[in-house]
Amino acid sequence: MGTVAGAQQILAGLKEAGIDLVSSVPDINVLQLINLLYEDKQIMHVPVGREEEGVGVCAGAHLGGKKPALLMQNGGLLNSCNGLTTTALQFGMPILLLIYYAGDIGDNAFHMVGLVTEPVLQGLGIKYIVMRDPGKVKQDIAGAVTLANSSKRPVALLLTRAVL
Amino acid sequence: MKRFECLQAIAPLIKNELFITTAGGATAEWNAVHPSDGNIQVKTLGLCSSIGLGLALALPKRKVFVFDGDGALWMNLGTLATIGLHHPKNLIHLCWDNQQYESSGGEPTVATAGKIDFAGVASNAGVKSSRSASTVDELKQAVSHGLSHDGPHFIWARIEAGRAEAPPLQYDELENKYHFIRYVEETEGINILRVPMPASYLLK
Repeated sequence: MGTVAGAQQILAGLKEAGIDLVSSVPDINVLQLINLLYEDKQIMHVPVGREEEGVGVCAGAHLGGKKPALLMQNGGLLNSCNGLTTTALQFGMPILLLIYYAGDIGDNAFHMVGLVTEPVLQGLGIKYIVMRDPGKVKQDIAGAVTLANSSKRPVALLLTRAVL
Repeated sequence: MKRFECLQAIAPLIKNELFITTAGGATAEWNAVHPSDGNIQVKTLGLCSSIGLGLALALPKRKVFVFDGDGALWMNLGTLATIGLHHPKNLIHLCWDNQQYESSGGEPTVATAGKIDFAGVASNAGVKSSRSASTVDELKQAVSHGLSHDGPHFIWARIEAGRAEAPPLQYDELENKYHFIRYVEETEGINILRVPMPASYLLK
């Protein structure tokens, strides 16, 4: 379920990078982060029922001047592929994708989802970082947001348990 | 009623409201009746209402219209629950229901059998104001109500199939997006595309 300290560091990194709206679908490993988002006054939190809705919410939020992120599990990345392709990529929408990396080495669930996650991101042409170093969390978030804004594309951060 | 006559009837009610329109005939017809940089055409079937929700939440003082279709709404029916949950007062979600996938060749949708009540689904999902319209006058009244009252609003427009002759949108999606964002910047007095220097510039 992650630690409060890990979630606090990620939330602080999002704020420093200018993220002001997070759409989300929960995973047990980002429970602490979701809990913080529900309480936070600075970042608008928009829970959705299915991850592709979140791609739409983030795209619309960008059109209205927000700096959006979509928090989900990698199964949700698979649910979102058409929206990412024909909305986020085709229109050039800067969206930060915060993806819990289920099925990663050391994770005992969803191994097939873990297996296809990086090839799917590569196939979509979405740059990503696998976050394994708690000491680089803020730097990774800032770097991903910088690239999303300059390339006007989604950029992904794969959150492993080491940083949560 | 035909969609085109409905669009002609509601165009005079519009000032600078923003329009997210689904892939399909409604987009070309609306741009013929009301050409504006405040119109953007969605390419992902079903996602227009989610995009409209995000825009409405980002600009809570601006009225945002979504032009959906029965096939598109079926693909993302959960959107009504999400809109009901977040309850944006400024969203007017209008579903043009012609009971078919007209752009795909006229195949049946969930609406063809006549069993689904989209307005009932919206209402029971928590959307504050939900109406159905089968005549041009009813539709005009529903849109007027949406413009003058807090929502969210859902309008189920029960139309005949068939398209009016209207040219396709003259922009590709990137040009459409830039025009739309510049229009939002100008009319809202905000800066969207020139983002502040991100924190990473300060990192080694």
